[in-house]
Amino acid sequence: MADDDTTRDAWDLLPAYALDAVDELERRVVERLLAADPEARRALDEYRDVVAAFTVEEAPPAHLREQVLARVAVAPQAGTRPAGAATPPARPRRRWGLVAVAAAAVVAVAVPTTIAVRATQEQARLQERVDTVAQMMADPSATLVRADVTGGGEATVLTAGDDHLFTASDLPGPGDGHDYQLWVVGAEGDVTPAGVLQAQDGTVEHLVQDVPGVGVAVTVEPDGGSEQPTTDPIVVLAES
Amino acid sequence: MVEESLVDTARRGGPRAHGVRQTVRVPPPTTARGPVDDALVACAGGEPGTFGPVYDALAPVAYGTSLGVLRDPDHAAEVTQEVMVEVWQKAARFDPARASARTWVATLARRRAVDRVRAEQARRDRDQRDLDTSVAGAAPDAVAEDVERRLEGAAVRRCLDSLTSTQREAVVEAYYGGRTYREVAERLGAALPTVKSRIRDGLGRLRDCLGVARG
Repeated sequence: MADDDTTRDAWDLLPAYALDAVDELERRVVERLLAADPEARRALDEYRDVVAAFTVEEAPPAHLREQVLARVAVAPQAGTRPAGAATPPARPRRRWGLVAVAAAAVVAVAVPTTIAVRATQEQARLQERVDTVAQMMADPSATLVRADVTGGGEATVLTAGDDHLFTASDLPGPGDGHDYQLWVVGAEGDVTPAGVLQAQDGTVEHLVQDVPGVGVAVTVEPDGGSEQPTTDPIVVLAES
Repeated sequence: MVEESLVDTARRGGPRAHGVRQTVRVPPPTTARGPVDDALVACAGGEPGTFGPVYDALAPVAYGTSLGVLRDPDHAAEVTQEVMVEVWQKAARFDPARASARTWVATLARRRAVDRVRAEQARRDRDQRDLDTSVAGAAPDAVAEDVERRLEGAAVRRCLDSLTSTQREAVVEAYYGGRTYREVAERLGAALPTVKSRIRDGLGRLRDCLGVARG
């Protein structure tokens, strides 16, 4: 009953909808009808032809042409891919159902740490990283471990599958002639070098991909890093 | 019930003969596919070089539509620019079976123009305390003259004669004012269902008079 009334109301509103003369709530009511009923879409198409018949064509200012064509030359089209842009290979993942939801959350997480300080030309690479992190956060098996760093600062690692996003803040400098180096710790206690950390104002964000492990650790190493740790870790992040 | 008639008439394609005067000349059907439609379809391929002719053919539709609603050349030019970039970006969504390129662009332009009117209106309402009633809005007479002048050139003009004066008033208020039918009802001091019916029946008659038929 109520559905019949709603449907009739929606049909009733179609002409006003074609005129953009409905409010937000009514608009949604009509759009629900349009989604469900091809007859309604056909009726709307006819009303739109009527509304378009009110248009009196008029030449726009001449300068507009150049402006529009300049924007068109760089504006991406929906449903097409810019020439030469390859599709990044899909990374196999366990479950991605939550990716869209997590993406919103991850932007809030990622922006304060790095994006704000990077140059424009790095944005594409960063976007890739944001996408990767979004995927990691969407993984229901992802874990987040946090710990204080010996000597100052705090470190966190987000691990999903074989990917690890390491972040740290308030780190003191590693000292002249030294670097902080990250390691992925394996289940047997073995370690794999995972890169020298580039800290900016004591803040680090470092993504390690496709390295299996149960945690990560950071050591202070000679400039450029080492093949195996040469000092005791200043922080170990592993699930207890 | 008056409310039921739309469902009935829309579902069976409308009362084609009802209320249409013999003297009204039916304009050429707007549903035949033409070169502009083909050009718009073709530019969905992503090649910006193909957009020039599409712009030349359709920017006057966007500008004319915006100007009708906004009545301000600068605002209309800004809206036109946004609309034409949107036309390029959404070209793949244009379906020539559902609309002519002209109708599609007029629809996009009208929506943006109306959005701008409403945003302006909201801003004006916020500033109303400061402004008082002194300067808000153009003189009603000038608006009416402008509307009449625009209607003179519109394909729909002769068909407006097939409307009752109250239908015509409601449709014209909604079209040129960028108003919701609620706002039209307030302005005309008429009941809400009445205005809804007038707009519905008015557009239905115009559809029949114009010979619009799809599907």
